[in-house]
Amino acid sequence: MTPPPAPVKKIAVVSDIGGRGDLSFNDMGFKGGDEAAKAFGLQMVELISKSEADYVPNLETAAKDNDVILTVGIGFLLTDAMIDVATRYPDKDFAIIDGYVPDMPNVMSILYEEHKGSAIVGALAALVAANYGYSHIGVVLGIEIPVLWKFEIGYKWGADWALKWYETKFGKPAPVIADTPVKERVLWTYTGTFSDITKGYEAAKAQIAQNAVAVYNVAGPLGLGLNQAVQEYATPRGLTQGPPFWIGVDANQDWINPGFVLASMMKRVDRGVYFATQLVVEGKFRQVVADNNGIVILGIGTTVSGIDITGISVSTLADLDEFIQMGVNAEQLTGKKVLPMSPDEIKAKVSAMRSSIPSWVWDAAAELESAIRSDPNLVPYAGTQDVVDQWRAILG
Amino acid sequence: MGTRTSNRLAAFIRPITESAVAVAIGLIVGAFLMLAFGYDPIRAYAAMFAGAFGSTSGILESLAFATPLMATAVTFAVGVRASLFNIGAEGQMYIGALAATVVGGTILMPAGVHPIVATIVAMCCGALWALPAALLKTWRGVHEVVSTIMLNWIAFWFVTFLIRTYFAEPGRAERAIPAVATARYPVIGGTLTAMIFVVVIFCIAVTILLWRTGIGFELRLVGDNPEAAKYAGASSSRAILTSFVVGGLAAGLAGASQVLGRPPSWTIYATLGNLLNLGFDGIGVALIGMNHPIGGIFAAIFYGGLAHGGRFMEYNVGVASELVDAINGIIVIALSMPEVIRIIRRRRES
Repeated sequence: MTPPPAPVKKIAVVSDIGGRGDLSFNDMGFKGGDEAAKAFGLQMVELISKSEADYVPNLETAAKDNDVILTVGIGFLLTDAMIDVATRYPDKDFAIIDGYVPDMPNVMSILYEEHKGSAIVGALAALVAANYGYSHIGVVLGIEIPVLWKFEIGYKWGADWALKWYETKFGKPAPVIADTPVKERVLWTYTGTFSDITKGYEAAKAQIAQNAVAVYNVAGPLGLGLNQAVQEYATPRGLTQGPPFWIGVDANQDWINPGFVLASMMKRVDRGVYFATQLVVEGKFRQVVADNNGIVILGIGTTVSGIDITGISVSTLADLDEFIQMGVNAEQLTGKKVLPMSPDEIKAKVSAMRSSIPSWVWDAAAELESAIRSDPNLVPYAGTQDVVDQWRAILG
Repeated sequence: MGTRTSNRLAAFIRPITESAVAVAIGLIVGAFLMLAFGYDPIRAYAAMFAGAFGSTSGILESLAFATPLMATAVTFAVGVRASLFNIGAEGQMYIGALAATVVGGTILMPAGVHPIVATIVAMCCGALWALPAALLKTWRGVHEVVSTIMLNWIAFWFVTFLIRTYFAEPGRAERAIPAVATARYPVIGGTLTAMIFVVVIFCIAVTILLWRTGIGFELRLVGDNPEAAKYAGASSSRAILTSFVVGGLAAGLAGASQVLGRPPSWTIYATLGNLLNLGFDGIGVALIGMNHPIGGIFAAIFYGGLAHGGRFMEYNVGVASELVDAINGIIVIALSMPEVIRIIRRRRES
């Protein structure tokens, strides 16, 4: 008789109702859990929430398991359940992505500077509109929760910044889009869902019909609906690349439909999960939680307790490989074809699309990024209704 | 005397045997499904059962999932007892939840009174929402399936609209305002609250109404044999109305249970995600419970065990969550079959 193997320590990842297979927010969480498990010799266990009633039992299932060293909740929607379960299991460590749970010794709230990344893709979109002579840019959002306000206002602000940049640079207003009244330049739609892909399709289709050059996906799986709308526009016209484009979110989604995804605003949920796991493994988790009152903010050039950790960036060609792998994993998981073409073809198409857009567009984005690095308060942070209303009054 | 006892015994044992056979069939079909996808069905079922009923916290959670279903099962069951196919629990439950949110979240009342008032208002609103279908049926002969489906959708959008506008919580757009502390039923453990006692008492009350009162007798008579009922001078309109009203009260109670009696949100999510399908699931629960309110209690506990225990098939054995749903669905369908067959047979005979 061989003795039973020593129990493997686990990290548990609990999704919100978005579930797996969104190729963005939730999948990024599982990606981080997977990588941390491999790196630290752990096992990752997944708990998919099918309805809101699953949040507490899913978190509790993980918390009760003696082998689980960290329970990660992926998403703001788990906030109330996280507080409830973490209070009842004070000896266990928890992390929540996007939730604001301050001042609990065992909960790390991992937040992101989405407004900054959104500003950069907003600038990109506005300049691409100027380049191709489009009158609008668009954004499709999910449920109107505070996290999404940051995306919305950041995007609008970035577009505004870019059109001012254009005027300074070229000495004249940007063509077409600058003629659109300021408050109408960005078309924006809250669909009220993170799961109904059809709603994403409908919203994007309407925005493209109103002459939006690019539609930013701020609704996780609804990006697949945006993609469908873009493709539906492109196919009968024989287009092999945008415009129209869509803009990815959370993950690098450029590979999903190469040539039609302008860029992606990467919110590195995976790094957040990995970081929290690493802290638990190294025994520093509670100290870091205490040092930061439970709130850890990951963004462009950010540090946490002296550790450099970037949580927000705009996709580049260089990081495409890592995310093509995400598509390969999704193919294995679902048994369905996810990658649209071979990885090499994807890279060639993305590269061709990027080089067909004039370099001043990319230079402007880089300039905005360095401006953000030197002034952390440059992009407005819309965390409350008042601030959102104030910016909507200016930018629409 | 001897034959009478054995008849009663048979009447008692027969449904239990039928259910046992149905459970076995459901489990076996589910097992084949799991084998087809390379999972170990014995380990998976063991994980589900242990997760649902093997620990205190598991039992509490299974009961929490069961609570609203006990009530929505009554809606369908009293419908069938009056020969109605009332599938309006879903919409009536939304309306009940809305009423509970409004009374529980916007009105200040002393602690002991608040949950009771909010619950009663929610139940009455559920019953009000059932009335149009009842009146259309008795006055114009509109089939209840058509009217209740329509009312379900109207309720869905009506409640969605109100909780996203007038009863939205600022800064928390994913849900409506929560019931204030005084309006909440005390938590027993996990997400189970004292609401379960209210629901069980309600089920018992409906049982008494159906089998111990003249109104209940009339309702069952109209359902069993409408011709005989007519000769006996029973009013089918009154029976239909009673059935819808009792069903509406039950569905309203189910809605209230998710707002006043379910942590951590104590309110309705903007997607109605914490309410969706509780009414429709009640149909399956009612069928498993042989359309008896007390049978429904046990069927709901079984169903709640599946709802809660399913996650352990995924957590411990790695069964994909979609497959867990499919297996649970198969078990529920198998368990409903005896009662479905009985209803069809009765319809054929009459």
